[in-house]
Amino acid sequence: MKKLILLLSMIFSFTVNGEDLLLKGGNVYTAGPGGVLENTDIYIEDGKISKIGKNLNISASRIKDLNGKIVTPGFIAPYSQLGIVEIGAIAETRDDSSKIYSSGLSIVSAFNPHSTLIPYNLRGGITTALSVPSSSGLYAGLASAFSLSSSLEGSLISQDIALFSSISSGEDSRAAKILLLEDSLDVASRVIETDSWSNEKGLPSSSSYSSRDIAALKRVLTREIPLIVRADRASDILFLINFSVEKNIRLIIRGGSEAWMVAKQLANTKTPVILEPINNLPSSFNQLGARLDNASLLEKAGVKILIASHETHNSYLSRQAAGIAVSYGLPWDVALKSLTSNVAEVFGLKKIGMIEIGYKADLIIWGKDPLEISAFAEQIYISGKLMSNESRSTRLRDRYLNLD
Amino acid sequence: MLKYFVIVLAFLFISCGSDDPFNSDSAKNYESTYSPDNSGDFVIIGARILTGTGEDYPSADIWVSNNKIKLVGVDLNYPKDMRLIDATGKWLTPGIIDIHSHMGVYPSPSLRSSSDGNEATDPVTPHVWAEHSVWTQDTQMPLALKGGITTFHVLPGSANLFGGRGVTLKNVWSRTMQGMKFPNAPYTLKMACGENPKRVYGNKNREPSTRMGNVAGYRKAWIQAEKYKEQRGATRDLKLETLAGVLDGEILIQNHCYRGEEMAVMLDIANEFNYKVTTFHHAIEAYKVADLLAKNGVCAAMWADWWGFKHEAFDMVWENVAIVDQANNATGCAIVHSDSPIGIQRLNQEAEKARSAGVRAGFDIPRSRAIQWITKNPAKALGILEEVGTLEPGKMADIVIWDQDPFSVYAKTEKVFIDGLVHYDHEDPSTPKPTDFELGLIKPEENRL
Repeated sequence: MKKLILLLSMIFSFTVNGEDLLLKGGNVYTAGPGGVLENTDIYIEDGKISKIGKNLNISASRIKDLNGKIVTPGFIAPYSQLGIVEIGAIAETRDDSSKIYSSGLSIVSAFNPHSTLIPYNLRGGITTALSVPSSSGLYAGLASAFSLSSSLEGSLISQDIALFSSISSGEDSRAAKILLLEDSLDVASRVIETDSWSNEKGLPSSSSYSSRDIAALKRVLTREIPLIVRADRASDILFLINFSVEKNIRLIIRGGSEAWMVAKQLANTKTPVILEPINNLPSSFNQLGARLDNASLLEKAGVKILIASHETHNSYLSRQAAGIAVSYGLPWDVALKSLTSNVAEVFGLKKIGMIEIGYKADLIIWGKDPLEISAFAEQIYISGKLMSNESRSTRLRDRYLNLD
Repeated sequence: MLKYFVIVLAFLFISCGSDDPFNSDSAKNYESTYSPDNSGDFVIIGARILTGTGEDYPSADIWVSNNKIKLVGVDLNYPKDMRLIDATGKWLTPGIIDIHSHMGVYPSPSLRSSSDGNEATDPVTPHVWAEHSVWTQDTQMPLALKGGITTFHVLPGSANLFGGRGVTLKNVWSRTMQGMKFPNAPYTLKMACGENPKRVYGNKNREPSTRMGNVAGYRKAWIQAEKYKEQRGATRDLKLETLAGVLDGEILIQNHCYRGEEMAVMLDIANEFNYKVTTFHHAIEAYKVADLLAKNGVCAAMWADWWGFKHEAFDMVWENVAIVDQANNATGCAIVHSDSPIGIQRLNQEAEKARSAGVRAGFDIPRSRAIQWITKNPAKALGILEEVGTLEPGKMADIVIWDQDPFSVYAKTEKVFIDGLVHYDHEDPSTPKPTDFELGLIKPEENRL
């Protein structure tokens, strides 16, 4: 059996890596220092971008003429439950929460590369996603990055790379969650000093932290991984900024409805924000300052932003959200980075999210401005391999379009 | 003093209704008090106009007179001293209508104390009326106005087989629900198929806990309504008054129903009891029975792309709206709805998602047709097409001016007129009028934003 897997993986890597590909004459939006390169060729070898330039004189085994079509990096969803949720209301199809583990919950082994959400969102332009547990306690757990290639063995890109948490929702008060955040990190920090972990010393008796949970907190304290906190109220965000400075941890804010009120402080501490720019409702008393130009105000202040969709099943709608942010003042090129290179940079994903030499050849060919509603991913490449643009949804469509 | 006032009011109320306390016309007591100021006369000139009737004028004028549309066309012959609004280079459409909203009954902020959309205590509650739950100071309403929404239909939730009466409101600031109520719009009745009622009552260990239990529940209620209709006048029954109103053809059925086979079953029930289903809402699988819907003259109200949140929402296709629209030689009645305070702010974009998916699938769907999914068709399905939904002489002057093609992600509204009065103007920061809730909320001297 092992031999068979080895053989299969050899065949697989051969088909991906063995062919080269030349994309000719694209309008290339690099999302990186290269900016926009008009009428430019991209040469791909071994699944990576190996040359970029005008009229490259290379004989490739496959050549595609793009005739000036827009090329962008594949989009990266900074927050999703892709691969760990199939049908929202059906608990047995969800692998995104735990009553046993908190900060230590990793979803890597539960990730399902054959989830129907994956080809569907790939068709929308997402090639990589952060899959994030979504428990409602203080700590939801650890996020991992996956390629949306549907590959059984090759989907995982990077494991347990950020700790997600929330102080603005759930059953307990924000006040208590803030205290638990402080106490749990204090306990983890004592564990680092003494290198020993005797269960739950210093934590409220109702909270339960296993050694796996404490290990995740240790990684936050040693700055190995960032702590991502869902927070919306300006005063909460300000507390978290000060707290992160005091504890010397890498903070990322998610949600950030009122982040625009503390944009300067976010910029000064280089704290990035994961936004859902479409959410402008005062849905709770923590979000009373929600507004559609939040992204634009943050960008003007120098805050790095990442743009997410507001729903996992349509993770690709981060594109529409970015378009709306642009209509409220966010520069277009920043919007593109918020969907691609900013996400890779903030999560430490190497050589992905830009069209630069040496980068993973995750590319989308668009018929028009990819932020437009009517834009459609005409060709999708993951590691230089042309992906199918079929999904369960297109199969259903085709059956009923041709009914008789 | 207050006590005395209440007694007087109660007396007035009793005496008003006393000539015929059992008359089903008691609804008259709950009539609209909406009455706009006179808009006078003005002409919006030079806009690209999608009229909602199927016309697409590259550049035309629209003449508003006394809250109504007087004329639409090219080079209108208006008096020299006419007040003009130059909309050259802009786009103009009818006011957008959302047939499925819970604004007011599930408001923002979302608090249990004002979540008043589901009377989930019994599966058959046709006696409750959504209008009696409406919080007029819901912050979602002015945000929807900025998205071009001039009329919206508020429904009870879908916990029950019969969820109660829906109400059609104009999107105007008012101290009272009656001050928003669309004058003389027919009442509607919310029915729900599928997972929600069977889950809610199945969890309470009572009927219905299955889809067949749902269907038995509808039929039992209609049998009672038929009997009530025969013996009307003997005693009043709030539940059966509403159901009998449906059998009389006065109350329109708005039926939450995801699955294709359930829609077909609901049409059988409508045939058995001789009523009409006006619209299937959340009709994720309408594309599977699009011909059946077109043949029966039933509209389908759909999202562009929501899916997967529950099992009956698993079979979504982007082409759903287009397939319904194009069924039986393009005689289908497709509606794009929101059911969401976020979605309602840009139904134009939702329509474009559906339009562009349809175009990619090979259908010829111009903007002039797709705009009908959020204007004319919901007006028809709400029984108010005589008054709104298209830009035609004599109709209410509910008009949106867009800064560019409304089917673009970058489009924003510039002016929103309701009955010829400007309720939102992008150049006037005092519009839309903030709700009571938003005053002094973040800073005492400011509005929410």
